[in-house]
Amino acid sequence: MLMSFSGIVFGVGFFIVTQAQTSGFQQFFIQTILGVDGMIRVEDRFQSTMRSMEAERGSNFEISLESNVRYIPGVQFPERILSAIQHFPGVIAAAPVIRGSGIINANFRSHSCRPYGIDAEKHFQVSDLEEQIIRGSAEAFKANPYAVLIGERLAKRLNIMLGDSVLIESHNQNIRYRVAGIFETGIGQVDKERIFLHLAAARILLDRPNGASFLQVNLSDPSKAPEVAERMQASLSHAVTSWQWRERTWLQVFNVLRISSALTVSSIILIAGLGMFNTLAMIVIDKTREIAILRSIGFTRADIVKIFMYQGLMVLSAGIVGGAAFAAALTYGLSRLPIRIRGIFASDSFIVNWDISHYIWAAAIATLIVGVASYFPARKAARLEPGVVIRNSGS
Amino acid sequence: MPPILEAHNLSRFLGEGPTRVHALKGVSLKVEPGKTYSIVGHSGSGKSTLLYLLGLLDRAESGTLTLAGQATETLSDDARTELRNRFIGFVFQFHFLIKEFSVLDNVMIPMRKSGTLTPRAMKEKGMSLLQSVGLSDKAQRLGNQLSGGEQQRVAIARALANDPHVVLADEPTGNLDKENADRVFELLSSISRERGNAFVMVSHNMELAQRCDIVLPMQDGRFT
Repeated sequence: MLMSFSGIVFGVGFFIVTQAQTSGFQQFFIQTILGVDGMIRVEDRFQSTMRSMEAERGSNFEISLESNVRYIPGVQFPERILSAIQHFPGVIAAAPVIRGSGIINANFRSHSCRPYGIDAEKHFQVSDLEEQIIRGSAEAFKANPYAVLIGERLAKRLNIMLGDSVLIESHNQNIRYRVAGIFETGIGQVDKERIFLHLAAARILLDRPNGASFLQVNLSDPSKAPEVAERMQASLSHAVTSWQWRERTWLQVFNVLRISSALTVSSIILIAGLGMFNTLAMIVIDKTREIAILRSIGFTRADIVKIFMYQGLMVLSAGIVGGAAFAAALTYGLSRLPIRIRGIFASDSFIVNWDISHYIWAAAIATLIVGVASYFPARKAARLEPGVVIRNSGS
Repeated sequence: MPPILEAHNLSRFLGEGPTRVHALKGVSLKVEPGKTYSIVGHSGSGKSTLLYLLGLLDRAESGTLTLAGQATETLSDDARTELRNRFIGFVFQFHFLIKEFSVLDNVMIPMRKSGTLTPRAMKEKGMSLLQSVGLSDKAQRLGNQLSGGEQQRVAIARALANDPHVVLADEPTGNLDKENADRVFELLSSISRERGNAFVMVSHNMELAQRCDIVLPMQDGRFT
């Protein structure tokens, strides 16, 4: 019984801890990507093209067919689309972005970069860029039309300091900008190539006098993004993607990781359940006389089942309480453990998610396994015939 | 007085295949309140098989059995179990005490199951029963801390816990020395007479059996 109890404690405990970790990292990843690329992106305009086909060679009769959708890159009339977007339920803010590519030169070094032209006021409402500035300030950026915000890894590679002047080449133009801030999103790809500059400056640099590459939209409820995106796409004739679709690969990785760790750790509970089964089965063999006497006294088969199930329940309850306490302590300890993580997000410690559902799931899985493990020996005990047992006991 | 137990033409086979034997061959019996019965016979004569049938621990292949006016052969297992709890007390050759429980707790088990008394009343009744078997001073001991004779006396107290109409004893003295055997038998028979319940005992011990009101010798699955 002690082994079964220990198994339940460790099984429940590790189940909760692994779920707290994986869901903690997943939530933090979602927070990060929402803070960088927003909840919804309105991108390329599309047109449904129709074509016709002769019913028969030389015939005048033609069949109209809907062909592939034709995409026109970017948002041609961003102001109109922005105005329409504001009417969708749950939309908090939307901002236009012009995206291009170029070469940044500083300190006699060059590096490829991705300039993003933004309307600072609007963009800060659809991203966490303002909070991601680790050196410099958003105010300094807003104050200077030729200011740029540079990713931390890019700044490090080119040894760029706050206030430095950088030269960005794109579309046969070389324009000099002043570094007003260095930001860190934690996403490696973003931090090593992205540069934010003002929309007007970007139009000149990227030779794009009108339109936008995409619109970034923020919602009050991130979980509603897929349905809002679907409605937007249907009514705006632009490709609209939700963050869930955009980041589906990573989200699937996290989900698989969560399920995989849950299954792996559940095996500890399963082993505890097997231990419980074994122990109770041995008790049934050992206590056949006692079971028989209880039956002769007036205990029904259901009463015998209850006695064994009650034993399982006691170990289970103690195991769940112990496991939950163990998990809470371990989760807290992990959250204090320093670890530097960069790549898909930035963190300097283990990220955990305190969620009651992890405890409920762990308890439910333990209850299911221990319940089944207790039921079969209990049923075997209840099926004993008291007369047969007593007769065979030599009476 | 109407019989508390009435068996008519009970028949029972034991074993399967080539080892199948006709253990009881149409046995009939009436057990009246306040009387003591002994069923005697050699091993394999069918006396224990009959006792288990009378105690509703087993079912006969044919025949009828009425307990307290109620036909039992068609009753469900749960209904038969409830009848056992209400009307029958068992004493076996081995005491079958639950060793993890105290003596008093062992005596209180049938009362707890029937659930008709308050915890306090159960305790008082348990102590009273232990007093009647001379073990009230050992009420808090564990079952396995008593001698064999004492354990059997606890089993008697437990059998009487729900004021059964009939006490069925299967070789109750078979595992005891003569002194203890006499004491246990006297206890069972005198308490049964005092309380007015029937007492049916299966025994090899002819000396004790002869002291019952009615002696029923069995041979080859029948009363002789």
